Amino acid sequence: MRLTDTFAFATRAATGTPMRTALMMLAMSIGVAAVVLLTALGDGARRYVVGQFNALGSSLVIVLPGRTETGGVGASAFVTNAARDLTAADAAAVLRGADVTRVAPLLLGNADVAWGGKLRETMIVGTSTHFLDIRKLELAQGRFLPDEGFDRATPVAVIGAEIREQLFGSERALGQMLRVGDRRYRVIGVLARSGSGLGMNSDELVIIPVASAQALFNTAALFRIFVEARNRDAVPGAKAETLSILKARHGGEEDVTLITQDAVLGTFDRILGALTLGVAGIAAISLAVAGILVMNVMLVAVTQRTAEIGLLKALGATGPAIRRVFLAEAGLLSIAGALCGLLLGHIGAWGLRQAFPELPAYPPNWAILAGVGTAIGTGLLFGIMPARRAAEMDPVDALAKR
Amino acid sequence: MGWRDFLAMSTRALVAHRMRSFLTLLGIAVGIAAVILLTSIGEGIHQFVLTEFTQFGTNVVAVNPGSKGIKGGPPGLPNTARPLTLEDARALERIPGVTAVTPAVWGNAEVEGHGRVRRSTVYGVGPAMQQVFTMSVRSGRFLPADNAEQPRAFAVLGSTLKRELFGHGNALGERVRIGGERFRVIGVMESKGQLLGIDLDDTVYIPTARGLALFNRDGLLEIDVSYREGTPAAAIARAVERVLDARHGRKDFSTTTQEDMLEALGNILDILTAAVGALGGISLLVGGVGIVTIMTIAVTERTGEIGLLVALGARRQTILGLFLGEAVALAALGGACGLVIGIGLAQLVGLLVPDLPVHTPLKFVVLAEITAVVIGLLAGVLPARKATTLDPVEALRAE
Repeated sequence: MRLTDTFAFATRAATGTPMRTALMMLAMSIGVAAVVLLTALGDGARRYVVGQFNALGSSLVIVLPGRTETGGVGASAFVTNAARDLTAADAAAVLRGADVTRVAPLLLGNADVAWGGKLRETMIVGTSTHFLDIRKLELAQGRFLPDEGFDRATPVAVIGAEIREQLFGSERALGQMLRVGDRRYRVIGVLARSGSGLGMNSDELVIIPVASAQALFNTAALFRIFVEARNRDAVPGAKAETLSILKARHGGEEDVTLITQDAVLGTFDRILGALTLGVAGIAAISLAVAGILVMNVMLVAVTQRTAEIGLLKALGATGPAIRRVFLAEAGLLSIAGALCGLLLGHIGAWGLRQAFPELPAYPPNWAILAGVGTAIGTGLLFGIMPARRAAEMDPVDALAKR
Repeated sequence: MGWRDFLAMSTRALVAHRMRSFLTLLGIAVGIAAVILLTSIGEGIHQFVLTEFTQFGTNVVAVNPGSKGIKGGPPGLPNTARPLTLEDARALERIPGVTAVTPAVWGNAEVEGHGRVRRSTVYGVGPAMQQVFTMSVRSGRFLPADNAEQPRAFAVLGSTLKRELFGHGNALGERVRIGGERFRVIGVMESKGQLLGIDLDDTVYIPTARGLALFNRDGLLEIDVSYREGTPAAAIARAVERVLDARHGRKDFSTTTQEDMLEALGNILDILTAAVGALGGISLLVGGVGIVTIMTIAVTERTGEIGLLVALGARRQTILGLFLGEAVALAALGGACGLVIGIGLAQLVGLLVPDLPVHTPLKFVVLAEITAVVIGLLAGVLPARKATTLDPVEALRAE
């Protein structure tokens, strides 16, 4: 039997029982669609997080006060207190490193913010002029903190868009005196609305010079220091320089933890990647179930078409030829089902993108290949047994329908 | 038709096509097994996380500086213009129903002892901490009830830190330097293990006032209040808020009850388990499609039989019941097989990962079996209806 005949025969057999064929294709396509859609969701989440991190700039080194032997980033990431504080003077010293271009000290705290009889509690950030560029924030009005030494406590403040709206409403915010805690600051700028980033919503911040924040909270201890390297390749150099400068300043004691953006990003990337893979694996179980169905239906088909097989054999068709016919049918069914599923999955992913525009929910190529491949693979695998049973039939018995 | 005949006919039909019935069963069984296995693991993680968190006692209310609802920042910001003080903590002790209060401050410092140096987490806590968090001392004793403002320089080591500094030797009575200041070791804590990857034993406990001095702070990071078992958490939280409100003049702090936290955590984990179960449900759906397919084929094959039954006076309802019964029987049997496989696999996972208390609640077992039966019913409806609408004369002629 020629190849084209084999396929023509298989196609006719499949279209001869449209209901059954449609149901098998449905089963296959549910599995493939589930794999495609779920990986699109997982990969979309991964891309979203990576995008958020890259928006922060990829050549960043973050300095945390304190260091523990165990736990790595775990415990110390939430601790600001150390026997020796990380200070604004430390931040100024780090700026001397050859690979370092910008430094932003970060001192955080909560305080009351009041203007015109309206009061609310919000997060205060004490930092320097470079914070704007390092965090890639944008100004809507006015200007950012002045470029001056970290020890100058200029009484000025830059406020987030949400704070501006809540305190000032339709009135002009620039130039007004804002009360923060028990001190007064002149508003010199308003941040543009940026929505929430990772862990910090810049719409609800009040930003003041780091020395002002030190006075306000009566502490010298910084929460973090953001250090920006010259470029991505200079990150290891900047990290080493920062560490040696801080070590020298802290009496030879290595009591800080340095995190690079890439390390954090890598961790997130791995976790979300593994999650996507796991979810895809669970969805792929349904492909095995679809495979069992294909096998079942093909077995039924072999029984029903006993006479036909007998006739073919009587006319001289060999065992392998018969096997090929049935395998071709199983393969065709799987391919059609997989393609339908692919289409359904893509439509689902498109729907996801429409519903959540910020989530880049595109199924990754490996998932499409794996989904379709697994579908066709299981279809063929589960088709082997029925095909073999058909091929091994005795022509006389088969013709007699026994 | 008596129910006996009914049953006999259904079973005969199933047994006559052993292979076919088995494969259909298998499809449903794989689906149910996936659902049961995944929800069991999910439930296991749920239990695991809850026990991790409840090992510190469930009747605790935590008070933190800064009012709730401040958006835009990471939780537990250290600085605030309005600190919580040792006096605040002492005032809370007088609330009826409160059994113990510990003011807490923590940070990171270098601990030197026995000629070795190690950076660890230093907790400044009150003498009642042991009671609040149901922790026990392995040797020696916990911090004594000194004058809260000027406590003696005593330290209690966590088990990891003790091992790192003193090895198997005796630590009691030895001197350690914490952030340059001298402390005397008076106790070693029982091991607490890890919580979310953080070693809880790599710590040293010192009196709160000493901790505040060490870190050069005037405000506490947290006050933990434990209350008598059986007292409603909300009532204690309200009383705490009233006392602090009166002392501060306004609400510039926030309270979190352990109950609230566990409930929120439990909700998240429940959703997770449900989501994982739904993922397994995709396989179940495919298994359902399998039943539809096989029943459709069965109806076509048995057209003659149906015709005969109708010609003999069988009512349409009987035919419908026959086919529906067959589909439901297939699904229910497959579901039962799946339950056995799923529970078995879950136990296997439990054996391989002893830390994970895999657990298959009866709720899931019943739910999964009901789902299987419902799928069988739904899948059977279409083919069964088709069977009832056959014209007896045409049907009889089919063979």
